[in-house]
Amino acid sequence: MDVKRKVDMIRVNPQDWPDGTPAWKAEDPELGYDVIPAGRYTSAEFMKLEWDRVWTKVWLLGGRSVDLKEPGDYICTDIGKESVLIVRQLDGSVRAFPNVCLHRGNKLRPEGLGNAENFQCMYHHWTYGLDGCISRIPDVATFPQGGPPGMKLPSYPCEEWGSFVWFSLNPDVGPLADFLSPMQQHLEPYNIDRMAWTRDVTVEWDCNWKASVDAFSEVYHVQGIHPQLQWYLDDTNAQIDVYERHSRYLVPFATVSGRVALPSSIPPAIYEIMVKAGMDPAEYEGRVSDIRRDVQRFKREHGASQGKDYSRLNDDQLTDDYHYTIFPNVSLNVHADDVMMFRQRPHPTDPDKMLYDIWMLELVPEGEEWPERPKHRQFKHGDRSIGQVLDQDAFNLPTVQKGMHSDAFPGLWIGDQELRIRHFHKVLDDYVYGPGGKQPADL
Amino acid sequence: MDLGLQGKKAIVVGAARGIGMAVAETLAREGCDLAITARSEDGVKDAVASLKRYGTNVVGKAANVKKADDYKEWLTWAIDALGGCDILIPISSAGGGLGSEKYWHNAFEVDVMGPVRAVDAVLPTMTEQKSGSIVLIATTSAGEAMGGPQPYNAMKASLITWGKQLALFHGKDGIRVNVVSPGPVEFEGGNWDMIKGTMEKFYQSQLRQQPAGRLGTPEEIARCIVFLASPAASWCNGSHLVVDGAFTNRTHF
Repeated sequence: MDVKRKVDMIRVNPQDWPDGTPAWKAEDPELGYDVIPAGRYTSAEFMKLEWDRVWTKVWLLGGRSVDLKEPGDYICTDIGKESVLIVRQLDGSVRAFPNVCLHRGNKLRPEGLGNAENFQCMYHHWTYGLDGCISRIPDVATFPQGGPPGMKLPSYPCEEWGSFVWFSLNPDVGPLADFLSPMQQHLEPYNIDRMAWTRDVTVEWDCNWKASVDAFSEVYHVQGIHPQLQWYLDDTNAQIDVYERHSRYLVPFATVSGRVALPSSIPPAIYEIMVKAGMDPAEYEGRVSDIRRDVQRFKREHGASQGKDYSRLNDDQLTDDYHYTIFPNVSLNVHADDVMMFRQRPHPTDPDKMLYDIWMLELVPEGEEWPERPKHRQFKHGDRSIGQVLDQDAFNLPTVQKGMHSDAFPGLWIGDQELRIRHFHKVLDDYVYGPGGKQPADL
Repeated sequence: MDLGLQGKKAIVVGAARGIGMAVAETLAREGCDLAITARSEDGVKDAVASLKRYGTNVVGKAANVKKADDYKEWLTWAIDALGGCDILIPISSAGGGLGSEKYWHNAFEVDVMGPVRAVDAVLPTMTEQKSGSIVLIATTSAGEAMGGPQPYNAMKASLITWGKQLALFHGKDGIRVNVVSPGPVEFEGGNWDMIKGTMEKFYQSQLRQQPAGRLGTPEEIARCIVFLASPAASWCNGSHLVVDGAFTNRTHF
């Protein structure tokens, strides 16, 4: 790596935290160095394979349990050509249904959140209960053939885990717990259920959904597109771990990258980290390179009195970015006090487009009132800023997508710092072509 | 022009990086023996090793200017180790900061009391030998607004006043005291290097305000400091030299 300084990063000893998020470095698998074909980002045929063998087969993130507090609360979310209605039942369970009226195919609800006593189609007022059963067909006697089979909407598998709601379009999908493993052990020590929404945004991006997953799977791009972050995090000391389907990297925050000279004054973004932790940077006597460790110590000591329970987190988790990808399309920057996560959804028909959901959550200190939930907003890339860092992330994606169409570009030339990208595509291959079934000519 | 620095004994406080490092290097190249300090032990060790290549006697030990007793002890040690002191350039700074009372204390302790304690330590020696040269480092931010109403700017301003009065008072003993106010200076690991990386737009706006379209380098400041410190500047006493590539607007009549 091109560095100015060799940084010996202090990291927790995984053995000291046996019950928390595993901090171990997982052994890197041999995934080879083949080009990842550009065609899989542009081809309608591959898009169809993904739909048939991934999107309609796996568990997918639907929303947050905090949005489904009361019976009748629902989340209506689209995936590809399907729209799904996730509904809190009277008995407290959650169920998911296709968001489509069985009469003439109208959508029962627009995308978004709400509460309903029942779901009445706005076309002819066919009405469905919270359990998906048809409760009323106006002029029912004029349907001599009777109502649709079973007089109810089909239902999709739906479960909750980790304060999130998950659904699958596959009626025969295996247990959610098996699919998510080992993410439970990794993420449960964080108090994501005690985090409130601070941002709920969808941006329409002109790229394939995988280009976005790729973009958030490596820190190799920091030096190129986020130069300012080099005074905030150490991109030269990321630990990469890939698991069966999911993966992560651990990036030290509140420290200065080995790619730039160590400053003698506190960088502005690290200053903010200290202030957020409750420290007074003006009082700080240590070196800039000691700040990360001192923030960890300070939070460990003062967390409880600030109403923040860090008891299940290791010291590194008090500052660092534990960044996870839950296959196929969820990227989470997980921190002790907040989560910044993205859900990357394919366009229903166009491989050159996608929907990029930004979900930002922040820990609400014990005893403090939850802030009002921000309203969901959706817009096109470039119409509004999504913040400096994410604007920088988004900047290249349309041109990356253009390049995928070039005859001169066979595909992605992936290095070791991008192991998670290679792993992601390997998992995708195993779904699309069957485990190990990908042939040399396949996309 | 011979600066007349060969064989002179100089103390530089804050010499591990930036302007201080450049001053130490210029002095060493001109043949001065040096005693240097900075807060970081590694920084001092590296600086001493690097400065020794000019073949003069260079000694150094880490010291924290804020810890008065340790610092005074270091100053005594430095004068002893050099066997006297002809030149003093105390340059350590706590830097900027806004929004906490603590910044006033930091600036007072480092930017004001750092030089004060050093000057107090060398005056007896210089008075006895009837010669000596002291250069205090202020800033263009003392004279023109920069970065908001910061303790740094106000505390640095006090050095300009104090420096003039030292010159008036000790001139009779052959001691000269001058002040240099550098404008924005860029070097690797310095504040402007970080600002360039973290606040690109602000950095560019600063460049546009610079007649030469760039910031200063530590060497450009160091050469002016070293000139004033040298016997070649024997008739400069009580002067205040702004070295900023014409960044500031004020006309000095």
